[in-house]
Amino acid sequence: MAESWVIETAALRKSYDGVEALRGLDLQVPAGSICGFLGRNGAGKTTTMKILLGMVHPTGGQARVLGLAAESPRDSVEIRRRTAFVGEEKDLYGTMTVEEIVRFTAAFFPRWRDDLQQRYLRKFELPLNRKIKALSRGMRTKLSLLLALCRGAELLLLDEPTSGLDPAMAEDVLQALVAQVANEAITVFFSSHQIAEVDQIADRVAIIDRGRAVVAGDLDELRERFCRVRIVFDGDAPRASFRAPGVERVQRDGRVLTILSSRGADAVVEEARALHPLSVDVDRVTLKEIFLESAAAEE
Amino acid sequence: MLFRPNPSLGVPIYLQLMEQVKHAIETGALRPGEQLPGIRPLAEELVINVNTIAKAYRELEHEGVIELRHGSGAYVSENARAGKLAERLRAAQSVVAGAVERLRARGVNDEEIRRLFEAELAGLTRKGGRRG
Amino acid sequence: MLWYKSWLDTRWRFLIGLALLLCSAAATVLTYPQLVKLLPLVPTNIQGPLGQRIRESAELMRSYPSFVWSNWFRQNLSEGATLFAVLLGTAGLLSHSGGALFTLSLPVSRRRLLGVRAAAGLAELFVLVLVPSLLIPLLSPAIGERYGAGAALIHSVCLFTAASVFFSLAFLLSTIYSDVWRPLLIALAFAIVLALVDQLLLRSPAQSLFGVMRGETYFRAGRLPWEGLVASAAVSAALFYGAVVNFARRDF
Repeated sequence: MAESWVIETAALRKSYDGVEALRGLDLQVPAGSICGFLGRNGAGKTTTMKILLGMVHPTGGQARVLGLAAESPRDSVEIRRRTAFVGEEKDLYGTMTVEEIVRFTAAFFPRWRDDLQQRYLRKFELPLNRKIKALSRGMRTKLSLLLALCRGAELLLLDEPTSGLDPAMAEDVLQALVAQVANEAITVFFSSHQIAEVDQIADRVAIIDRGRAVVAGDLDELRERFCRVRIVFDGDAPRASFRAPGVERVQRDGRVLTILSSRGADAVVEEARALHPLSVDVDRVTLKEIFLESAAAEE
Repeated sequence: MLFRPNPSLGVPIYLQLMEQVKHAIETGALRPGEQLPGIRPLAEELVINVNTIAKAYRELEHEGVIELRHGSGAYVSENARAGKLAERLRAAQSVVAGAVERLRARGVNDEEIRRLFEAELAGLTRKGGRRG
Repeated sequence: MLWYKSWLDTRWRFLIGLALLLCSAAATVLTYPQLVKLLPLVPTNIQGPLGQRIRESAELMRSYPSFVWSNWFRQNLSEGATLFAVLLGTAGLLSHSGGALFTLSLPVSRRRLLGVRAAAGLAELFVLVLVPSLLIPLLSPAIGERYGAGAALIHSVCLFTAASVFFSLAFLLSTIYSDVWRPLLIALAFAIVLALVDQLLLRSPAQSLFGVMRGETYFRAGRLPWEGLVASAAVSAALFYGAVVNFARRDF
């Protein structure tokens, strides 16, 4: 493999008490990218991240982070030396103050960045002497982010980094992420329910549905690949089946056939013309629609 | 000066950025030879991915709208206007090609087509010309 | 920093325990003169096992060292140390609201996390046992008696080794249950049941766990209960090993 993947999983599986959370997940995230990880609740996003960090043991398949094996306890310690994690619950030590937990965390990372620490303490306006349990959710998120950004990590794993935050705070978080990627050699892998966020800062995306990756790749390339072809007929639209590769969905609506394609429009338009339509239109598809299309309805 | 692209439009962000830069040049907000914002500070300001901005700048350079000077930054090309002009001319050329094809299809020969064009242009000038 | 964190997590239990046991030790010494005065009042002619017990206790009070052994090491400290061994061993390692996920995201192996936590807890337990015990030789001259520091030290070691078993039990249970209460209550229940079995069924053998705790063989014959000490240490080690294995294979 010529590329160096920062995160790589192959056929990753995890079952909890007979419930399959991951059913063969294949994922590749290249260095230096901001990769958005989208999926419905319970699709397996948090489980994936926890496996990468050695918090959860997979039941099958492989996962590698920075070239190290996630299932090996020794490699896992090394992974965590170079990776930072912000979980969904922003779980920290409630009885410590902001200052104490910063000092505590810094002690584990010889490459701790004091300059970034000062910058983010100031920027996020974190009160040094306040106990963590007295912080608001937004403050706790920012503190968690600070602890993640200052440790000189090569990879950031973030589970719903902006959940529960007001738009201004969410933007602060996104900006800190963008700035970090711009100025340091770092890769960001974040899961989110906010598609607009992923649209805004990600250059790669992976969509997970029921334990498998259904769509993955460069975001711009995906936006170019996915399109909607609208075919208008003189009379009722025929019940045609399209054999072009990449046809995801065909919708009949009176005189209009709408086709969602994931492999470009050309082949579909070819087949469409054979049906002698009145008009054929090709439209862009938003990431939201790609997501809604790929992540099927709950069972 | 450059404002935040709308990620939900379905138009890739880098294309939106390119349009913004071209628009800024057209309206004079950016002049030939002037320096564009740096990629990193711009990414931080607009809160978008640094690679997206890099891509937009690369494409703009490819189109001749800006120049990337190594170690220095991105600058509006001297002939940025010319770039736009070249684009206009290219678009115009395809209009002409289409018209010529259609006239030929109707059986009009090349000599007659030339005379029709000249007559048309001359007629506009005599009427006080909307185009100089 | 892990040591510091372990200290933060257990310091109140430790300090309260230390304060209580210091008071108890001081009380043991300072009430001796009163108890000696009351001795002639103790009825010695009651029949049956109860009478037997009373006569035994009275006997033990006649000399100061046997009094110290009977009231302090055999009773107060044994009970106190068992209780605090369980309290200190209840590590609260699994609870998510306690920052477990944050801890696990640090570049430390699970083995080291447990190791430091256990070592810190055991160190605290040892101090809880030793320091109040050393108060007795220190304070005894105040009532005109003497008690050897060497004896205090040896009894402390025996007591600590035995109490460590309960510490390790609570520790193991902490890697199974994520709440604070179940490890605590189960370990305490275990201690109580074992104590009852030891006393009522087995008639308090000298090499049993509680025999080791009391340092019975040393008191009576000046001989350390080697077999019991080794067995206790082995059981503690096994329980701790179980905790490590359990913790390593858990999902968080």
